[in-house]
Amino acid sequence: MKISSRYLQFIRGVSQNIIGKLGVALATSTFFMFLLMELAWFTGLVTNAYIGLISYLALPMLFIVGLILIPIGWKHQQKVTGKTSQELLNQQFDEDGVKGGFAGSGIFQTVGILTLVNVLFMVLASTQTLHFMDEAKFCGTACHTVMNPEWQTYQVSSHANVNCVECHVGEGAKALLDSKLNGLWQMVSLSFNLYERPIPTPVHQLRPARETCEKCHWPAKHYGEELIKHVRFTNDEFTQPLYTTLAMKINAEMDSEQVGVHWHIADGVQLRYGHTDPDRNKISWVEVNYPDGNSRRYTNTRIGNEKPVLAEREMDCVDCHNRATHIYLEPEDIVDKMLENGDIAKDLPYIRREALDALRTSSPDKERGLAQVARHLPAFYRNNYPQIYYNRLSELETIGEALSVEYDRYIHPEMNINWGVYPSHLGHKNDSGCFRCHNEFMQSDAGLTVAYDCTVCHDIFAYDSKSAFQFMTEVDTTDLESAIHHYLKETNF
Amino acid sequence: MKKTLAMMILLITTLSIAWGANSTVAGKCMTCHKEKTSGMYKQWLGSDHALHNVTCYDCHAADRSEPDAFEHEGAWIATLVTPNDCGKCHPQETKEVSESYHATAAEILDSKDAYLAHVAGGNPIAVVGCETCHGSIVKIDPNSPNKLSKLSWPNSGIGRINPDGSKGSCTACHTRHSFDKAQARQPEACSKCHLGPDHPQKEIYEESKHGNTYYTNIDKMNLDSDKWVVGEDYHIAPTCATCHMSATPNQKFTHDVGQRISWTLRPPISSRKDNWEQKKENMQDVCAACHENQFVENFYYQYDAVVRLYNEKFAKPATEIMTMLRKNNRFERQAAFSNKIEWVYWELWHHEGRRTRHGAAMAGPDYAWWHGMYDVAQNFYFDFLPEAQHYADPEVDAYIEKMLNENPMHNWINRDTKELKEEIRSGEMQKVYEDLFQEDK
Repeated sequence: MKISSRYLQFIRGVSQNIIGKLGVALATSTFFMFLLMELAWFTGLVTNAYIGLISYLALPMLFIVGLILIPIGWKHQQKVTGKTSQELLNQQFDEDGVKGGFAGSGIFQTVGILTLVNVLFMVLASTQTLHFMDEAKFCGTACHTVMNPEWQTYQVSSHANVNCVECHVGEGAKALLDSKLNGLWQMVSLSFNLYERPIPTPVHQLRPARETCEKCHWPAKHYGEELIKHVRFTNDEFTQPLYTTLAMKINAEMDSEQVGVHWHIADGVQLRYGHTDPDRNKISWVEVNYPDGNSRRYTNTRIGNEKPVLAEREMDCVDCHNRATHIYLEPEDIVDKMLENGDIAKDLPYIRREALDALRTSSPDKERGLAQVARHLPAFYRNNYPQIYYNRLSELETIGEALSVEYDRYIHPEMNINWGVYPSHLGHKNDSGCFRCHNEFMQSDAGLTVAYDCTVCHDIFAYDSKSAFQFMTEVDTTDLESAIHHYLKETNF
Repeated sequence: MKKTLAMMILLITTLSIAWGANSTVAGKCMTCHKEKTSGMYKQWLGSDHALHNVTCYDCHAADRSEPDAFEHEGAWIATLVTPNDCGKCHPQETKEVSESYHATAAEILDSKDAYLAHVAGGNPIAVVGCETCHGSIVKIDPNSPNKLSKLSWPNSGIGRINPDGSKGSCTACHTRHSFDKAQARQPEACSKCHLGPDHPQKEIYEESKHGNTYYTNIDKMNLDSDKWVVGEDYHIAPTCATCHMSATPNQKFTHDVGQRISWTLRPPISSRKDNWEQKKENMQDVCAACHENQFVENFYYQYDAVVRLYNEKFAKPATEIMTMLRKNNRFERQAAFSNKIEWVYWELWHHEGRRTRHGAAMAGPDYAWWHGMYDVAQNFYFDFLPEAQHYADPEVDAYIEKMLNENPMHNWINRDTKELKEEIRSGEMQKVYEDLFQEDK
């Protein structure tokens, strides 16, 4: 007997009622659909994550449902007709099929072969499913509204080639299971609109940063000083550059000349802290356990013991590098970079102030916001510098377009994400970051204060100065800030 | 000659070494405070102090033996900068301020105002309401990070009594940290304190032609000029500083604000100040920059008469009645300000009477009359006198009776309107007040 006719006979045999028929139809159609889709993915015909959801989640699930329906249909038929399995077998199949042989009956052989095919198929499908769900594209685009802001910032970050799951899920069966259960809850909260906008940070169930980050960035790798050069432009008519150049001391050593900021995670150092707010910004005490067994505790005399500690935590990478990937730039960062790169012409009067104003447009919906950003510069110059407007309109429009692209990336009204919602803890802007612990109020019992000198973590070669290495040159006594120059020249060298 | 030269070289060397050391310390302050208190830093950066290389440490350096000295980032400093500190570079100004009436402003603990604030109000309002303008007596708290008691700091009251014994706070007028002379020359610098129901100098200035022209022409005031002589460097209007402090072609500027004031307009009954002729001459010299002599003379003729009118017609009788009531032991309660008439009398001179006198002094007619003498009269006839009669003291009653019947300034109250109007028209009524235009002999 041919295989095809044997299969056709078999499926006719098991589809004796509506349930069986449905099961067979589901299993067979999803099986072929999956193979077809797989071919489409393979050839690159489809790339959309929503299609991925169908091919890797819906189809395998429906396939399993189909398979389960077949025995249910069989049992149901037994119940309705009152016949035994043997009687049903005899009724549905010819004698050849039911008759026993060397490798069991023909039916048994068919079931065996089909089961083998099913198992192989399910292994393939689930591997593909897991693989699909490991892709950043799945995480970034499947739940579009919620994840879009993270997806946008991820794509332009230095970790754009590292999959989400590398940091967010972790290794081993337990991590996988945890993440899938968590994912289930996310499906529910998405379906019933239960999620918070914006998504609160820090993400508390993030796997321990030291396990993930240190796979690529192990502590011994941080060494020496790293030069950071910022340029800010003035907000006045002339848009002059002001340079700040810092030599960051980033060693992971302590108790040596080479001490650097990564001593916080040096071998044998354990640093714990207590915070009174969910954001981990209000830190009420810090305890450092040194490799030699000594420890020191500092208490914030302002927060002190008055407010209850919400949680304790061992410090790790993300306490400072809280925005290692999903970096939400501030308008100043964007405009200064564009000015530095020449994407915005510096000879347009008040261009920095106005470009910032354009980006800080507030609008309840994205489309309107984007239009406002694009229109801002032409409108300003038409009202105040008509000659520039008439001579350089297309240039103004190009800048407006470039600004809207940035606005589109960072501003997400549907998630209540505006400028400054996700601040970075690197540095100490507005008393955040380092200054959460390094401040005059964080004192030990002996009255020692956590160091917060400017030159503890960085040497300063320029500070809003007119050249990038101002403080390496001779002190210019006609400069109003020459005292800073004097001090830093002595301290740096 | 050689010796002098050697001395000069030594002096310059010492100063430059000192500057180098100061500069390094100040550089450290600035590096941090440029970010931590950027507003304060930028105020300083835009100031003349920055221009002349006067930095944080030049004003805030302290000897560790000083009671308010504390160590901050390796330097001994003090938060409080006193006139003694400013006097290192500005000795003349410091001397004048120390000798001025302003310097005594914090010595108010025994005053009626302070008594009232403490008993009718309470300590918190005395700290916030009185001492913010008058100045606190700065107390040391060894447990405070900057060694200053929370009750006396912040405070930039004009008569602040400092731990180093000096009196005053230059920042009362020269707002920190820009210490801008243009800012101190504007009326707003003074009107932080000189306003309100008891001394509405700000409001009167705004009403006057002087204020009027000033606000219309601020941009023509040349306020930033180092030299600021009225009539030479500006001419469009005077500010408070112009008349009370600034230079004229004949006078140097002074930080002693009382040097041009001839009357005391503060107490219940006004009197001439010590050396008032000279002080009046000083003020008239300021007026003369813009006004012709006869104009100035006549202005004083009218103004002085208002002060005497207030004194003679209302202040003296009311004060005498109060004295009689106290002497005859008529008050139900013994504590000062525990009887209604004391509040009525207080408002008569302390609020309404001052408004009258200040309004006349600074050419604010509405304050002189409607906010001033009108209120005094209404209070006197219909609050104060009935309240005094309520005690049924024979001596007081007789005094009031006599005044209302026989005193030509008061007997209108018992006469016929038609007759009074006739006297006004004929000039008879005005003759009653003729003497007030004459200087006391």
